Amino acid sequence: MRPHRALSLLAAVALSLTVTPAQAQLGGLGNIFDKAQKAKKVGDSMREIGPEEEEKIGGDLASMILGAAPLVDNADEQHYVNRVGMWLAMHTERADLPWHFGIIDTDDVNAFSTPGGYVFITRGLFERFRNESELAGVLSHEIAHVVQKHHLHALQNEMRTSAVADAGSSVVGSGGVTGFLTEQVIKAGKTLYTRGLDKGDEYEADRMGVVIAARSGYSPYGLVGVLQTLSAEQDQKGLALMMKTHPNPTDRMDRLEKAMGTKLDGLTPEVDDLPSFVALRNPPPPPPVVKAKAKAPAGKAKPRKK
Amino acid sequence: MRIAGALIGALALCIAAAPAAAEEGAVIRAGELKAMPFIDAVTSAKVAANQAVTIVSRKGGWVEVQANGQTGWLRMLNVRLQGGSAPAAGQANVHAASLLRTNSSGKTVTTGIKGLGEEDLQNAVPNPAELTKLTSLAVPAAEASSNAAASGLVEHPVDYLDQKKKKK
Repeated sequence: MRPHRALSLLAAVALSLTVTPAQAQLGGLGNIFDKAQKAKKVGDSMREIGPEEEEKIGGDLASMILGAAPLVDNADEQHYVNRVGMWLAMHTERADLPWHFGIIDTDDVNAFSTPGGYVFITRGLFERFRNESELAGVLSHEIAHVVQKHHLHALQNEMRTSAVADAGSSVVGSGGVTGFLTEQVIKAGKTLYTRGLDKGDEYEADRMGVVIAARSGYSPYGLVGVLQTLSAEQDQKGLALMMKTHPNPTDRMDRLEKAMGTKLDGLTPEVDDLPSFVALRNPPPPPPVVKAKAKAPAGKAKPRKK
Repeated sequence: MRIAGALIGALALCIAAAPAAAEEGAVIRAGELKAMPFIDAVTSAKVAANQAVTIVSRKGGWVEVQANGQTGWLRMLNVRLQGGSAPAAGQANVHAASLLRTNSSGKTVTTGIKGLGEEDLQNAVPNPAELTKLTSLAVPAAEASSNAAASGLVEHPVDYLDQKKKKK
């Protein structure tokens, strides 16, 4: 036996010893030990997670986000973002994923993606878009996170450190091994989605996002327009979670300026806006406008004079 | 008559102003105000850093601004917005907002003010029914393609931008 083999064998024995006594003394814990090993396997950052498992994990996390804010109940709107989103995703290396896009019903300004091709934007963000290229910019940023498996890798790291400790506690799993894994994914996901990714992942998603939008025929500057909006509103409560989990929007603009320069200029034709978005923004005037008759002219007139 | 006139005026103003409410901003780096939204367009004036500007319109990577009584184009990445100047919910996109709200089946009153903060995520209970609904909304690639073609979206071959520092 070669020395380094003996060493790795020793290491393996040492590793198993740390759990084995508990397993031996308390028979029921053997089951928990199995579960912990399974969870640890997910968390093993050296292991490449297969497409089916990625989709399952992403679905669990999407279900969690939908538990916090359900889909806006409007099939036309949802269909619209799915058409735009799918077109964008087709211009990446992971076009074949089962992509799903949704507007979720909250006033807060944010967007999320989970592994396997799930992308959400909040209604609060959607309402702030000036045109369709801004929607395309945000969707492309989220698509880039999925393409690069940013959340999947961060989740693996998170689970590697938390899963085994949890498996020993008595609250573990009514749903067997699968249920336990889902619990672990959700738990790690909550940590991840409230703490945020590494800043480097966000900057990378910005750089890739503007290119994905440009490849798809949109102005690559839609995302920049959104970052301008965010920079002007960053103190507002509805942006609190987004600001906590992302780098400062002004920093993101600086980075994009350095990376883009004028490299993505002059792609013609490039689309800022489309009738599909304008139709949502500018349909026949709704009745509530009448209410604003006394206020609107005075309020609007002032800034115009300046 | 006057009231009717004022009402029509107010309506027209709302409709016209809604998509492009005036945004106030400032120049980030000293630069040139261009007559057209192109790099090689004629320079109509110089602008200093921190010069206040009013954004009149947007086109691609450019914003049309009024600065010091002059109108011209600046690179979008050279303009930051003043706090509170960005389009608020329902200003950029008025009708989408009301449309979305009206259609929130029976939950219109409460969902309109719901936030999605840290606690909401921490306390979230997975919602498999909504996940099933989301899955049913998927659009096939063929439909996305034909929709894009009908919209006049033209694909461009563009490489990803260089990364200065590579991770891993």
